[in-house]
Amino acid sequence: MKKVLSAPALFVGSGIFLVLGLLLAFWYSPVDASTMGYSQKILYFHAPIATAALLAFGVAFVAAVLFLRSQDPKWDRLGVVSVRVGLLFSVLVMATGMIWGKAAWGVWWAWEPRLTTFLLVCFLYAAYFVLRSVVEEEQRRATYAAVFAIIAFIDVPITYLSTRLLPEGLHPVVLGPGGGGMPGNMLVSFMISMFGMMLLLAALIRRDLGIEDLKERVADLKNSIGG
Amino acid sequence: MGWLQFKAIVRKDLTRELRTRDMLVSMILFVLLAMVVFHYAFSVKEGVDLTYFTGGMLWAVFIFAMLLGLNRSFAQEKDERCLDGLLLCPVDRVVIFLAKTAGNLIFLLIIQAVAVPVFTLFFVSRSYVADLPLFLLVLLLADLGICALGTLLATISMNTRSRDLLLPILFLPLIVPVLIAVTAATTTIFATGTSLGSLATRLLFLLGFDLIFMVAAYGTYDFAIGE
Repeated sequence: MKKVLSAPALFVGSGIFLVLGLLLAFWYSPVDASTMGYSQKILYFHAPIATAALLAFGVAFVAAVLFLRSQDPKWDRLGVVSVRVGLLFSVLVMATGMIWGKAAWGVWWAWEPRLTTFLLVCFLYAAYFVLRSVVEEEQRRATYAAVFAIIAFIDVPITYLSTRLLPEGLHPVVLGPGGGGMPGNMLVSFMISMFGMMLLLAALIRRDLGIEDLKERVADLKNSIGG
Repeated sequence: MGWLQFKAIVRKDLTRELRTRDMLVSMILFVLLAMVVFHYAFSVKEGVDLTYFTGGMLWAVFIFAMLLGLNRSFAQEKDERCLDGLLLCPVDRVVIFLAKTAGNLIFLLIIQAVAVPVFTLFFVSRSYVADLPLFLLVLLLADLGICALGTLLATISMNTRSRDLLLPILFLPLIVPVLIAVTAATTTIFATGTSLGSLATRLLFLLGFDLIFMVAAYGTYDFAIGE
């Protein structure tokens, strides 16, 4: 089990699923019938990346709660790693979102609820790292970061809701209430991409955790030899 | 639960401020000056109608003024090591949070009592006396959210190396939902007048925001203020 869930195995798994998802998206799923045509294919990456980003922040939230309860530094490490990966995915969401926006709406940027939410999410979690960088004491840094990760994660759905309070809305609602839904041959490719992206998320978190653990050990070793 | 202590802390903050008045005077002057700046920043040509900017201008001013106030409210505690004394007292940390929030709320309300009439004189051409109760309700709900969240984040940022530099970075992305709701509500009241029914969504949103962050702060303040 441990081997299957190791970072390299997860990377290979995610690679297989992402490539498969991409191939299916182009050769199996139908080309969008409306004006979007092939540009709609970015959906198979854009939406899974967004889901992965939110999931990463969710992991950071849970890690933060666990840290505050136990004061165990391993949860702090999981928190940092998840936020870092989540931030990376959020930037990718914005990038793919802007590319799609240019193709679908003709503009690089629109103040549209979901895009705006992710912009704010990027600011929020960038602030998380600024906060970490200005607290020297380790325990305190971890505590503040955890408090902020909790507050930030609570704020994400609220921000999304608030952007919905504005009248306009360009974004297609694909799944969920009011969504158009997907025909079967789109859904298969979409879910395979989604699964691949989740594996990639797990792989990145796993690898970064390994790095953090190594850093910790280096620090301990340095301390033990008095350097 | 600690009603006496709550009152004592609020009274201490008010007394200290009313003896020197340096924070209130600077904040009021800042707010008035910001209005002048906004007027010239937006008046691109003679006789331009600023009505639809009024909500945004008003709340941008208040949020920036509050950033000044929040920093001050904890800088004094920290510089004179008053906070250590406060923490040594047999007071529940949550009572400190509620008292600090109440103190900040009172200062914000004092500033608004001066600023809103002047703002109305400067920028609002319509009489909104009929909507005044509604306006006050919007104001109070938004203030509560701003002060609760602001107090929590100011507590964190004052314990870090960069202090007042950090607060805006943490505070602004989190407060955007309030800004969106309150700006729209205020602009509607100033521009066209409205009814309780048509503002219901925004009022409920603000109320929800206040409650959620009060609870979140209640749960995390122990950790934010430190030992």
